[in-house]
Amino acid sequence: MTATSAPAGRNPLRMLKNLFFPVAPAYLLMIIPAIVLFTFFIIYPTIQGMFYSFTNFVGYGTFHSIGFANYKAAFSDPTIRDSYGFTLLFAVVACIFTNVVALAIAIALNAKIKWRSGLRTIFFMPMVLSGLIVSYIFTFIISTSVPIISAAIHFAPLESNILANQHLAWLGVVFVASWVAIPGAIIIFLAGLTGISTEVYEAVSIDGANVWTTFRRITFPLLFSFLVINTILTFKNFLNVYDVVVGLTGGGPGTATTSVAQTIFSGFFNGDYAYQMANAVIFFLITLFFAVFQLSVIRRRGGGL
Amino acid sequence: MSRRTMMKTVGLGTAGLAVPGLVAGCSSGGGGRTSIVLEETKPEVIPYFNNLVAKFNASQKSVSVTHDSSSSLIAAFVRGNPPDIDCDNYNLTTSIFVARGVLADLASLPQAQTIEPNIQALVTQYASYKGETSVLPYSVAAEGVIYNVDLFDKVGVSAVPTTLTEFLAVCEKFKSAGITPVYQTYGDTWTTQQGLFDYTVGGMIDVAGFYKQLGAAGTNLGPNSSVSFEKDFTEPCKKMLSLAPYFNDNAISKHYADGNTAFAAGQAGMYMQGPWAVGQVLAINPKVKMGTFPLPATDDASQTKCRANLDLAIWLPRSQGSAQRAAAIEFLGYLMQPSVVNAYNQANLAFSPLKGAPPQTSPLVSGLQKYVSSGAFYQGAGTYVPLTIPVGNFIQEMMLTGNVSGFTSSMDGAFKRLAIRTSA
Repeated sequence: MTATSAPAGRNPLRMLKNLFFPVAPAYLLMIIPAIVLFTFFIIYPTIQGMFYSFTNFVGYGTFHSIGFANYKAAFSDPTIRDSYGFTLLFAVVACIFTNVVALAIAIALNAKIKWRSGLRTIFFMPMVLSGLIVSYIFTFIISTSVPIISAAIHFAPLESNILANQHLAWLGVVFVASWVAIPGAIIIFLAGLTGISTEVYEAVSIDGANVWTTFRRITFPLLFSFLVINTILTFKNFLNVYDVVVGLTGGGPGTATTSVAQTIFSGFFNGDYAYQMANAVIFFLITLFFAVFQLSVIRRRGGGL
Repeated sequence: MSRRTMMKTVGLGTAGLAVPGLVAGCSSGGGGRTSIVLEETKPEVIPYFNNLVAKFNASQKSVSVTHDSSSSLIAAFVRGNPPDIDCDNYNLTTSIFVARGVLADLASLPQAQTIEPNIQALVTQYASYKGETSVLPYSVAAEGVIYNVDLFDKVGVSAVPTTLTEFLAVCEKFKSAGITPVYQTYGDTWTTQQGLFDYTVGGMIDVAGFYKQLGAAGTNLGPNSSVSFEKDFTEPCKKMLSLAPYFNDNAISKHYADGNTAFAAGQAGMYMQGPWAVGQVLAINPKVKMGTFPLPATDDASQTKCRANLDLAIWLPRSQGSAQRAAAIEFLGYLMQPSVVNAYNQANLAFSPLKGAPPQTSPLVSGLQKYVSSGAFYQGAGTYVPLTIPVGNFIQEMMLTGNVSGFTSSMDGAFKRLAIRTSA
């Protein structure tokens, strides 16, 4: 329907306004800046990067198109392959570790204990520290303090610096990255625990359930949707691990703990911009796959999200 | 997504950096003087260049130079806002500027004629662009085996070794005197790469020729190509490993700083490092007397060469306002005066690239003078390897396992993959 065909008696000005502003201008005012910023800083660079991944561009100067050569080379590059191996293993292990520990701490902090808010503050503190600072502090602890203490108590596995060990360094990265991520997960679990009505706990205690049964039959099922969201968030963040690795091992020893994000970023300074853009596109597709997979799991579970 | 957040960060960071850059680039100095930016980031000589810039500015009515000692050059080129004149280390990474044609052609400048041709050739060994002269060498650093003069006297060595047999004899003398002959630090990958690896390979094969043919072989690199790491590097690598009995124990847990400390304390007779380590050793122990000789990797003394690199080299960006270009050339003329170039190199344990330059007189590195003067030098074999290929890690692994064929096949495979994607 257009303004000209409007029947008599209706306000053509209002119709015109409805045509051009189907939503109230106040909403547009809020949405448009976000869309502009998102497009300029995320969508535009993404498309630009995808374009350059088919060239031999280094970031400046002359370049030409080279088709899929970057992609072909990336698939046979052991450095890139190993970085995916490390990143996936790290993300899975760190994700499980973070969620198990965070759930345990959240349940403890939700119990009726003394100094509850004081203790909660202490457990949230790692959240305000930058991952880089935390990892520099832990580098010192793991390479200097831990071996001295381990030697004193004759605990052989930690007597040498595990960050200098090609096969064990990744465990150090898992520990520190989880240490940084746990507070965020605790907050979400605590929010979930607060939402569970005290009446159900009263009911099971009258039925004579013990602590373990209460957890298995009541707490865990009612908290499941929060576990799903925590798993998705922490896994996504761990796939992008960068600062903790840079601070702890710099990707070493050798290239044992080099993450995908590090490999991609190295291209900028190695004259491999276009090549690593191809790597970034591959990484984007992989994370997209995980995101879609996780979303479908939530939908199937009907997790109330 | 990390890539997204990273791009966001890079984008914001670039915007943030661009602001001071633009301010410096656009404004003209007071009194109608053209303002230009010199970028020079070698940490040890920043005060030296500050002083040169101050002297130049005081002598000038038309040009005013600001010294930038920290900006990232790659980011500057991405923004399209490079410095007006740059004097920094020239290596494979900066040679990409040459290869991509973003540097000005300096061939027509009179200063380009003053440089020793075999030193100018070091520039094009990494990259060239349409036969242009994109970079002018300013300072040549030469590296060899640093030795402790007092310990040489103590074990009864009167002259530095010039053949491999003589070198091994010196090592034996140290060993029987209970002193570590050569100190190695495998803990850092770069130390073994620039020292033991580059010296042995450079002393045995024509490094520049090898990489030139390697580039020509391209995707055909393999058993049938004219050169390959397997064919040409197997012997040098075996020689490297054969020297291992003369190195300190537990070299894998020793780092650069440990090496400097140990050498300063007289714990070893020789140390495969460059002039940068000489300064560090003297800072720990000012009394230690040192000299440098090139590692003889064969028994033909006339084949012995030292490792060299362009520690500083000057270039101008191709896209530049005409006033800025004229001002930059004026400042280049000041920096390239023989008195200024030669004084800089004399003071910084380096060698002047100019024709007929006076010899370096410091006994710390003067042992390399005759090799530099006669053109008996090479750029290290490791320096031709792009950063994408972790050659230092491969060498470290070879030193620990003794697996030479593993090293050469890793290198051949990595260069072949590189050729496949760069030739497309």
